Amino acid sequence: MMRRKQLGVIAALCMAGIAWVSAENKIPKTHPVKFEVPKGWPAPVYDFSKNPLTEEGIELGRKLFYDTRLSKDGSFSCGSCHQQFGAFNTYDHNLSHGINNSQTTRNAPGLFNLAWQKEFMWDGGINHLDLQPLAPITAPDEMGENLENVIQKIKSDKEYNKMFKAAFGGDEINTQKLGKALSQFVLQLVSSNSKYDKVMRGEASFILPEQLGYDIFKKKCVSCHSEPMFTDYSYRNIGMKADPFLKDSGRMRITGSSGDSLKFKVPSLRNVALTFPYGHDGRFFSLLNVFDHYRKNMITEGTTDPLLKNKMPLSNFEIGQLTAFLYTLTDSSFIKNPRFGPPGTEYSGKPPVDIHQ
Amino acid sequence: MSRHIYIILLGLLTGLPLIVPAQKAMPLTNRELTIRFHHIAGNSALVFGDTVQTGPGEKITIEKFRYYVSSFSVKDENGKTYRLPAAYYLVDENEPASKTIVMKVPAEKITAIRFLLGVDSIRNVSGIQTGALDPLKGMFWTWNSGYIMAKLEGTCEGLAAAGQRFTYHIGGFRTGMNTLHEIEITIPSPRSVSVGLDINADILKWFSGKQDIRIKETPVCHSPGKLAVAIADNYSQMFSLKEVQQ
Repeated sequence: MMRRKQLGVIAALCMAGIAWVSAENKIPKTHPVKFEVPKGWPAPVYDFSKNPLTEEGIELGRKLFYDTRLSKDGSFSCGSCHQQFGAFNTYDHNLSHGINNSQTTRNAPGLFNLAWQKEFMWDGGINHLDLQPLAPITAPDEMGENLENVIQKIKSDKEYNKMFKAAFGGDEINTQKLGKALSQFVLQLVSSNSKYDKVMRGEASFILPEQLGYDIFKKKCVSCHSEPMFTDYSYRNIGMKADPFLKDSGRMRITGSSGDSLKFKVPSLRNVALTFPYGHDGRFFSLLNVFDHYRKNMITEGTTDPLLKNKMPLSNFEIGQLTAFLYTLTDSSFIKNPRFGPPGTEYSGKPPVDIHQ
Repeated sequence: MSRHIYIILLGLLTGLPLIVPAQKAMPLTNRELTIRFHHIAGNSALVFGDTVQTGPGEKITIEKFRYYVSSFSVKDENGKTYRLPAAYYLVDENEPASKTIVMKVPAEKITAIRFLLGVDSIRNVSGIQTGALDPLKGMFWTWNSGYIMAKLEGTCEGLAAAGQRFTYHIGGFRTGMNTLHEIEITIPSPRSVSVGLDINADILKWFSGKQDIRIKETPVCHSPGKLAVAIADNYSQMFSLKEVQQ
């Protein structure tokens, strides 16, 4: 009797379960992808439960990332300014470009390890990774398109209809799904296999200048460029004189607080050898320019970071060793990973054609 | 035996999403309340292109007027407040249908209705939303994540700007820049169960109240901050009860 009752309860519960599953049957059969957190790294801040990674979602995001139709005149994709061979920065450009020969006011940073980043852009104005692509898509000096047109263009493409359905189910294509797919792709861009990482994992060892550079780094740089992300994601004024034409007040633009004037996000130093030029407006064309800024050229005033009140004394010797260390942060497997290139193309070993030249 | 418990647990877990939404629901009936927003400029109906005068004395015409309303709740005659299921509405003078909202409410006599003028902070920090909150509605700042709670655009006589146009995009949800306002409309001594509420929204309130807003001094508001807060403080007074249908 007891047993029968139990079976009845089980049956009822299973029915409820089945009813629920069939009500949700619009969710297609997808292939889940596990997000691997490199050993010793903190937990990601991105909420994967709201956007579970799937092969279908990632592939869709990849297609969108490299699709120039997301721009107004079909000339720019996300990948135009975020080039894999430059760790997804705009290689060798101080300011990135937009449609109709326009120029932005900032340097396009490399894209990697975005799952650990809470706020985006140099001023941290964007508070969620899914929202990030909407800014360059709609900015008149970037891709210059409006979201309604973007969704229309996607809807009129058969292949996209198939891919959106495969990734998210249902027939609707909306901004949310667009953002989630792009997030799924860019979340894959994990850079954790530089020589530095190998040394930390005990798979390699530094040569002497690298080790000396690392020791200096831990004394002079690490309080802002903290390991393992090589940024503490804070906003700081490092004494870069405001450019009179760009008139960029940085973090203050978002918070409205004068205490945040000229503060910009501390950039990660991973892949730093590839992500030149440096600084929010790309004014430093080489690492040496940056070191010279810290030891000589920077101005100290108002909101300049207290850690830099006396600038940062650096000897030529230290600069040499630091440079050797910073080169160990280049992740060559990351920039050559064919999964991150445009869909359907295998990495050729040669940089893609630079459309800005 | 332990396998049975496992199966029961599994069943419970799978069945859970079915049960949870049911618990969230408040004591609803099939009774519907229709809220109609009437857009006015002072004593007359708002007509796009018609010239009206603001409190501080500027002659203006309106070309765009839209705002979010959300998080509705109603108060019954015993003072008890019922939260209605979460919903967001974009009311747009250009979309007549958007000015009428129908919602299910408890059967009790309603003495007040409350709603947020704007979009709560949670929705401002939770990625891309859908429906009325889809960023493609043009009510979202992509460079400084957050909703534009309300928009008013038009022209102002004598304004030294292209086309004499002014654009007020009001938003901001962070402390110190918050433009969210809870609006309460009281229904004086309701005789019986009300079926419809006609609510006026007066665009002239944007320009006076807590602080006079002179378009010639500040013709553009496109980001959170002091000006947005000042305008929002003013427009939080724009709603008034026009009529109750019982």
